[in-house]
Amino acid sequence: MADLEAAKINHDNHLLLDQPCLRLPYELLRKNFRSVHYPFEWDSTSVKNVVKDTANGLISGKTSPEDAVKSLDQMLVKMRGLKRKLTAAAEEEDRLYRQMDSRVAHLRELADLNTVDDVRYEAWSRQRLDRLLVDYMLRHGYDSSATALADERGMRDLVDVDTFVAMSKIRKSLEGGSVQEALNWCNENKKELRKMQSNLEFMLRCQQYIEMMRTGSQTKMLEAINHAKKHITPFNDIYPVEVSNMAGLLAYRPDTVLEPYASLYSASRWQKLAETFAEAHLKLLNLPMTPLLHIALSSGLSALKTPACHSTQLQVQPEQPQPANGTTTSSTPTPTATAAPHHHHGTASLTTRVCPICSTELNALARSVRYAHHGKSRLLEHDLVLLPNGRIYGKARLDEYAAKSGLPAGQVRDLVTGEVFGGDEGRKVFVT
Amino acid sequence: MEAKQKLESLLDELSKANKLPRLSSAAHDVDKVIDVLSEARELIAGAMDPHTASLTMTMLQNPIKFAFGKVNDDLKAASSAHKKVGRSLDKHFPLKQLPTDKDSMDDHLPLINRAIAMHLLREGQFAVASTFINEVQTKHPRAPSAGFDEPMDEDEDEEDDEDHTDADGSPAAHDDDDDDCDLSSLHSQELQDKFAEMYTILQQLKAQNLLPAIEWARSNSAELEARGSNLEFELSKLQYVWLFKGPAVNNLPDDQHNGRSGALAYARQHFGRFQARHLREIQQLASAMVFAPNLPASPYHQTFAISTAFADVAASFTREFCSLLGLSAESPLYLAVTAGALALPRLMKYMLATRSKGTEWTTAQELPFETPLPESMLFHSIFVCPVSKEQTTEDNPPMVIPCGHMLARETLQKLCKGSRFKCPYCPSEGLMRDARRVVL
Repeated sequence: MADLEAAKINHDNHLLLDQPCLRLPYELLRKNFRSVHYPFEWDSTSVKNVVKDTANGLISGKTSPEDAVKSLDQMLVKMRGLKRKLTAAAEEEDRLYRQMDSRVAHLRELADLNTVDDVRYEAWSRQRLDRLLVDYMLRHGYDSSATALADERGMRDLVDVDTFVAMSKIRKSLEGGSVQEALNWCNENKKELRKMQSNLEFMLRCQQYIEMMRTGSQTKMLEAINHAKKHITPFNDIYPVEVSNMAGLLAYRPDTVLEPYASLYSASRWQKLAETFAEAHLKLLNLPMTPLLHIALSSGLSALKTPACHSTQLQVQPEQPQPANGTTTSSTPTPTATAAPHHHHGTASLTTRVCPICSTELNALARSVRYAHHGKSRLLEHDLVLLPNGRIYGKARLDEYAAKSGLPAGQVRDLVTGEVFGGDEGRKVFVT
Repeated sequence: MEAKQKLESLLDELSKANKLPRLSSAAHDVDKVIDVLSEARELIAGAMDPHTASLTMTMLQNPIKFAFGKVNDDLKAASSAHKKVGRSLDKHFPLKQLPTDKDSMDDHLPLINRAIAMHLLREGQFAVASTFINEVQTKHPRAPSAGFDEPMDEDEDEEDDEDHTDADGSPAAHDDDDDDCDLSSLHSQELQDKFAEMYTILQQLKAQNLLPAIEWARSNSAELEARGSNLEFELSKLQYVWLFKGPAVNNLPDDQHNGRSGALAYARQHFGRFQARHLREIQQLASAMVFAPNLPASPYHQTFAISTAFADVAASFTREFCSLLGLSAESPLYLAVTAGALALPRLMKYMLATRSKGTEWTTAQELPFETPLPESMLFHSIFVCPVSKEQTTEDNPPMVIPCGHMLARETLQKLCKGSRFKCPYCPSEGLMRDARRVVL
């Protein structure tokens, strides 16, 4: 049956949303490694050279033993520094491998499951939801909520709180008008940023220049020109427009209304920088640009949505107390089905469950998405009976409801409108 | 199950990464460099003569080179371990680009935040929920007035104004959002109180105390009845059975309120109100008294087997409680995200296929591809007209024709010759005016 097919877990494709969960520890391993590799190369070459030079100096008599001791002391300081860096990196590496282990264990749980109807799948999927929620909160800068949720669920190793908190710190410093933290980050990741042709550093340098110009003081402006010579004009080939804008800025004061200079002086440029930084950061770590929750929701809302979920006649009004029509015994059929109002299909009926799209949480959100495409009918019930008021129910459910409402034999009650009909008034309906 | 094997071999390879060389050995081997350097320093500082100094420094070159070489090897080993991990990932778990170029959700952050807050509340994560609500409010402090929705609504305006016109083609969407916020705005405190009540009652149910649940069901009996729910009776029935079992099973004090006499007293006091609807069951419960000495062999043992009864009533209690709040029993966010994970492969396949062509072939309201979901995620009956293969909607509703077959209205109109049509599925003919619009 097709339904069984739909319930099967396709292991190849089921982990699309979980790619970053495994990828990120790997990217961080590489990043962590780079953070010690360059210092090591640098320090080891320099120590080797100094040892050689000192030895030569001593032989030729140019260096005194005192000088040799001094330079040995300097080398020792350097090596102890390297040792500290390596130890820290080794600890970080251990943490990352541990994190990867937890994630592998988490994904292995899924590998053991074959269908989504397995009770263990729900537990797994709930944990995935929690992961996606933490990811969402972190990406939108709700750091304490993310930490609280991760701790509450005991899944710190499955989410990347530290990485994102570090990112949001830099982001906030940019929003607060400071480039230093972001520049440091650029420096740490120089090679990778160049490889992906990020313009972040250039933008930050421009901002520094703009800020110096903003002061309007002679010395600062001279400083700005020197700054531009060093960090901006060399990029004339890559960013010709920006460079000439920067040059033009010399002629305009911060209160100018002339474009593009007015927007260069504008404070909203900081917001843009923060966004550019966040993008570069995500790209560097091979992370998707949008929160995973957005991706899951836009596909999930559509897959669940049906034309009935936002139908105008059956608008969801869950807050309204439902009229207690359990006492009506009138059997006057309503002439048209459309006139029969009130309870939404989902909220008021027996044994059917409330549809998540009809539920208040998601109803407004789902309004903008498309509804699912179905190639053939999928009915929740069988043995359909058409009541005189135009509503169709499964026979089993009608009988059950009649019994529960204590109706005399041979009568049925509409599950939504509460009207009572004789059992022989119902007609069989065939869906082909 | 090739996919499963791939996943498993990836996981196996990654588990082995645990034993691969690590950076810690490099950190350890730097000590050697430090040792060699300090040794040389002591020698030179001790003698302070140029000859010893130059000899020591010359002799130092090789050990230093060697020690650095060792550290370098360690680093290389650690690095190749990382690369091995990377290769495993690439081989068994190749990175597939997620569809992020058009993020339709980004325009509705306030609504997402609201859904998350409600999700946390319904899951009983009250502390996290209040942290979240606070954080959202401090981040968007533009509307300092009360209510969780207002700042979010403000936010929505500020984020993107033009969005609302193209959201679904009409500005009405936004008005509705406003209404929604005014009428049923997320009074988080109120909602939290409600869910706190639900969790207290559930906790009591878990501890096999039915009374708080019964009390709740009684005070909401009118609404429950309108929904066709027997929750109150089910709970009362279980209470009767529970008392009937006596102190040996229920651990309640052994007095006249417990045991068979307690059950009987309970029934006298409470079952009267259910007589109209549940007379037969009540009779059964009462007759069971006769079989009390040998209940397991009696025809009533079904009624009195309560191994899963508490879990069952807890589940139906949760369902009813949420329904009366207009909420589904399962978290919609959970369902939507799970459905999203199931449907995502189809979406990506479609996007790949259309990227080259740039064509779409269905209406703007309907997804252009099928996203099969398991039975458990079906909440409305779907009728697809067997002739036109279109899903029925409000504008093209399902119709039942006199022979009992169902068709979409547009199909029927096309089939009509004058005012008559012939059923495409059976030999009978019908008149257009006899076709009935139906609600499925």
